[in-house]
Amino acid sequence: MSDESSQTSGHTPPALNSHSTDTELGRRSFLSNSATVIMAGGLAGGYGTFFAMAGRYLYPSTQNKVWIFVSDAASIAPGESLPFQSPGGVAVTITRRAEKPADEVASGEPLAVDRFLALSSVCPHLGCRVHWESNNNRFFCPCHNGVFNANGIATAGPPAAEGQKLPHYTLQIVDGALYIEMPTSSIGRKA
Amino acid sequence: MSRLSDWWSERVPISGEQLRELTNEPVPNHMKKWWFCLGGTPAYLFVVQIVTGIMLAMYYQPSPNTAYESVRHITEEVTFGWYFRGLHKWAATLMIAAVVLHQMRVYFTGAYRRPRELNWIIGMSLLMVTLGLGFTGYSLVFEQLSYWGATVAGNITDTVPVVGGFLKKILLAGDNYNDQTLPRFYILHAAIMPVSLILLIIVHIAFIRVHGITELEVPEEPEDKPKSFDFFPDHMLTELALGLVLMILLSTLATIFPAALGPRADPLTTPEEIKPEWFFYASFRWLKLFGPTFAVLSMGLIVFLMFAWPWIDRALTRITRSKEISTYIGIVAVFLLIGLTVWESAVAH
Repeated sequence: MSDESSQTSGHTPPALNSHSTDTELGRRSFLSNSATVIMAGGLAGGYGTFFAMAGRYLYPSTQNKVWIFVSDAASIAPGESLPFQSPGGVAVTITRRAEKPADEVASGEPLAVDRFLALSSVCPHLGCRVHWESNNNRFFCPCHNGVFNANGIATAGPPAAEGQKLPHYTLQIVDGALYIEMPTSSIGRKA
Repeated sequence: MSRLSDWWSERVPISGEQLRELTNEPVPNHMKKWWFCLGGTPAYLFVVQIVTGIMLAMYYQPSPNTAYESVRHITEEVTFGWYFRGLHKWAATLMIAAVVLHQMRVYFTGAYRRPRELNWIIGMSLLMVTLGLGFTGYSLVFEQLSYWGATVAGNITDTVPVVGGFLKKILLAGDNYNDQTLPRFYILHAAIMPVSLILLIIVHIAFIRVHGITELEVPEEPEDKPKSFDFFPDHMLTELALGLVLMILLSTLATIFPAALGPRADPLTTPEEIKPEWFFYASFRWLKLFGPTFAVLSMGLIVFLMFAWPWIDRALTRITRSKEISTYIGIVAVFLLIGLTVWESAVAH
């Protein structure tokens, strides 16, 4: 570029006819326009990519999930619930469904995981803590009288009007021990 | 459209012409050569450091229990975390290198001489703060080097006569590295030093604007050519292109040589091989060559002499009647610096 400009500005040959001056001017403005486009493109492309990457960086990445031990499965009586908090601070209510007579488990037979239900204790309405009322067989949110049935589906109050339900978590039973799948604990608590 | 511009110019009564007048510094012709843009290079890299530093701070947790794990999380789990940490690390390295090269350029072209002595002092302060940022920066990772580097630094401070013990307590927030040390380094690295650097850069640039840039004779320029060109847009474009080149260089370095993570700090075990970052190699070798008190005091003296060089240069020139005396001393100093750095990097202990 500097060679080009020093050549063109350094001397002005007097013998140039108008045709070659036109070509030279055309070539010069073409080169100068190209340089502007390349520069603008480089700036937009380079910093655009940078800020796109910065956006991806700032958006929290999906957390890994791990299996966390809850308790001995048999220790939760039918119809009862167990409030549980993960090391990362996620609050969950784990309920064992009330047994119908036909569902009676023969002694010695392992408990099936579908007898249990793990629901978030956080009301989807405005984030208050719901609690299990075993006598009413429902979850109740004291903030705005939200009511959820045993499966976590809202039946009354603002959450029902919105058609909301309590998020649920996956459970598994290994050798009689109940595990829940949860996002990894916040990094500060590992160490 | 014109209503919008009326609205704007009523509230911000500065015309484009005034703005042009305000920003247009005549730039001497030698600044068309890229190696004279070494002052703008650390400034650009500092902006990169601010941006990437804020981004790292979004995930970093400054406490001994969490620091290492959060850096690992950034490096291994956060999307592009390795890239932004790599940028931060390599921009730091290049920034220190560019500051040192810029200072050498100023030194060997005699640009610190009257009436620019005070700006040399500002420049020296910028060097000191930049080195401080480098040191506190690698202390935050909380790997073995961070912990033992800070411990060694604390004990070096301790050897300073009279005030050493006091300074060490201030630096480490106690007699030894403890739970409060890391938050202290963090606030130094993320607030106190960057703000100091910004203020110093403002003064540095203000001085340049007031004095103008020292003009250098460019032998091959024809006599009738203008001696300077406009800052805007000519020099601005040079700096923009330089910024793009630096971004490409940084991205390449961050990808090919990603910022690594050493073993977690272990207060019970000093590693067999312990070295600071490369920019402290020379002073680290100096500490191995001499007893601690002598080494620390002599380094302090060297820093003092560097600060006072514009006046020392004048005295030396008067005594020796040689205008080149500072150049010769400078060449010896540069070789000493390179020699000590290479020596330290070549041997294990």
